Amino acid sequence: MKKKILASLSALALGGAIASAPAMAQNVKVAYLVAITGPIAGMAPMMVQSMKFAAEQVNAQGGIGNGGKLDPQVYDSGCNPQLATDAATKAVNVNGVIGIVGPSCSGPVIAVANSVSVPAGVLLVTSSGTSPKISTLDDKDLVFRTVPSDDYQGRALARALKARGIDKVAVTYLNNDYGLGLAEAFADEFQKQGGTITASRAHEDKKASYRSDLAELAKGGADTLVVFAYGNSSGLTILRQAIENGFFKNFVGADGMRDEGMVKTLGPDNLKPLLVSAPAGATGAGFEKFGKDFKATGGDPNGTFAATSYDAAFLMALAIEKAGGDKAKLPQALREVATAPGEPILPGEWAKAKKLIAEGKDIDYKGAAGDHEFDAHGDVPGSYILYKVSSSGFAEVERMK
Amino acid sequence: MASIGLINYATFMGTMIGIYGVLALGLNIQWGVTGLFNAGIAGFFAVGAYLSALITASPSPERIMGWELPVAVGWLGAMAGAALIAWPIGRICLRFRSDYLAIATIGVAEVIRLVLRTEEGLSGGARGITGVPRPFGGLEYSLSQFAYFALVIAVLLVVYWALERQLAAPWGRMMKAIRDNEQAAAAMGKNVEKRRLEAFVLGAAVMGLAGALYVHFMRAITPEAIDPMIATFLVWIMLILGGSGNNRGAILGAIIVWIIWSMSEFITDQLPAEIATQAKYIRVFLIGLMLQLILRFRPEGLLPEESGQRTSPHLPPSR
Repeated sequence: MKKKILASLSALALGGAIASAPAMAQNVKVAYLVAITGPIAGMAPMMVQSMKFAAEQVNAQGGIGNGGKLDPQVYDSGCNPQLATDAATKAVNVNGVIGIVGPSCSGPVIAVANSVSVPAGVLLVTSSGTSPKISTLDDKDLVFRTVPSDDYQGRALARALKARGIDKVAVTYLNNDYGLGLAEAFADEFQKQGGTITASRAHEDKKASYRSDLAELAKGGADTLVVFAYGNSSGLTILRQAIENGFFKNFVGADGMRDEGMVKTLGPDNLKPLLVSAPAGATGAGFEKFGKDFKATGGDPNGTFAATSYDAAFLMALAIEKAGGDKAKLPQALREVATAPGEPILPGEWAKAKKLIAEGKDIDYKGAAGDHEFDAHGDVPGSYILYKVSSSGFAEVERMK
Repeated sequence: MASIGLINYATFMGTMIGIYGVLALGLNIQWGVTGLFNAGIAGFFAVGAYLSALITASPSPERIMGWELPVAVGWLGAMAGAALIAWPIGRICLRFRSDYLAIATIGVAEVIRLVLRTEEGLSGGARGITGVPRPFGGLEYSLSQFAYFALVIAVLLVVYWALERQLAAPWGRMMKAIRDNEQAAAAMGKNVEKRRLEAFVLGAAVMGLAGALYVHFMRAITPEAIDPMIATFLVWIMLILGGSGNNRGAILGAIIVWIIWSMSEFITDQLPAEIATQAKYIRVFLIGLMLQLILRFRPEGLLPEESGQRTSPHLPPSR
């Protein structure tokens, strides 16, 4: 039994070794690390499909370098650091990939960056790790992301409110990662801008009454209440009770409160004093082009992280083309192809980008999920839109900075 | 490139096997030798991992501790912390028979996981703790990996040696007597409750050490890492497959299960692209199949317990 197992194991190892031998010298391997199994398995198929779609477009329009192909290897990161580091180690060491797109979930991103990709000098672009901790990793400029940190929306909202002349607010937030992350970022930025937070209280989900919370919050004398919660749950109850009892005059929420069901339940007239922010991902020329092309292949462009995953994969390919396949030059090349100035490139315009790169011209990728102007941490600021309630749902007020 | 790459990969696998080997050894003391059904391995693993991280990482305004002490202190702290948590749990829960004990320990592990997940000030909450130092972490990638691998294997061997000594001593024989026939052991004047508590606490301390080994390898800990699937049930599979009651069996189980878990992805990659995504689930399936086959054809595990007296705890002892 033992010998048989050993024999089959060595066969396995051998198989792995053979598989790792490059088929064609100029082909370039990248790893797509996606949580195919595990808690977010439901989102994974669309993420994989959009990444592969990017690779197909690259290969259909001339491939990489001089006749080479982009050779994506899909690995399962399981939304779990043990599995993700295992997959990343295989990808980097056995299959010799020069860049990693993914992994999914923030914990695995941190673990893979810490123990595999950064020490090994491999570029990593994640499309779904949103933890603010990823920004502060000691990453030697090798960790990037195409999805904004949870931090940004709260900060953008704080600046937008301050710009609209709102100086005093009370804050209530749902006691989970989402609510807390937004509330912390919002409070930090709002106070930096000179605003005052009269009261800040966490609340638990699914309570029948928040009147005592609201009474406490109203004591500070602010007439604006900021609610970081979900509009189909505690956010709805809080708004209803605050309006009924006249605790506050104005209300502000983030993307969780952009809920059309809530508008129907409470009535658009009652919600006139409500402003909400939401990511601007699903707008713009880049998204339209990606949406049209991706739908034609049977994909769902609105799938969670589909657009960010596509951008991560496409940007990785652009960076490889720009760097001429040189692993060490990838981070610098990624910054050059993603950020202004340069000739704008929309999703799918690989042939055009390839030609411009060959001519030595600077390009600027305008992606499906945003412009991807990376900051010093390799983060994208994300773009957000402020909405007000209209009779038919939500109407845009302004783009937030 | 290719051969260095393969060595790097083998080193990584060896390190993970070493960490899981220590976990399986900890479970072996509790289940294999003493017959305590602990289904809360992840809880003790988590206590060890977080505690060692907090002891050795640099301070942060977001959470407590961050003492920047040497890694060895972190490891000792992890063992002591896991043992301290295990003691009251054992005092309360060890009065239960095996299946009730399993339910109680699952509950405790979930409580630990949820507390670590939500208590920002204690553990960094969902964002976890980063910036945990790794011994030899400053070296170049391959060297650093290899040095840590050697360290983990050294720890594994020390734990193995210590446990073998302990089990060969009268203590070990007494534990087996309690496991196989509690009444008889009690009639001989053995303090059954106290001995079982000893085994439970010792096993938990070893699991805490495994958590500490893990956190310094990854240089970070987030709640995803203490998911029961990967930190409890995988360890059970390793022990049952390798042979419970036998320390070498525990280590062999860790080797086989991790290698299959990791390497099967190379095989599924050879499948056509249309089903390659679904094929990732084959890994989970293979582990389950392996367990079924072992339980059907070799229920005592690949390396059964050596005394020759061992029978399944559910059957009356043979004479």
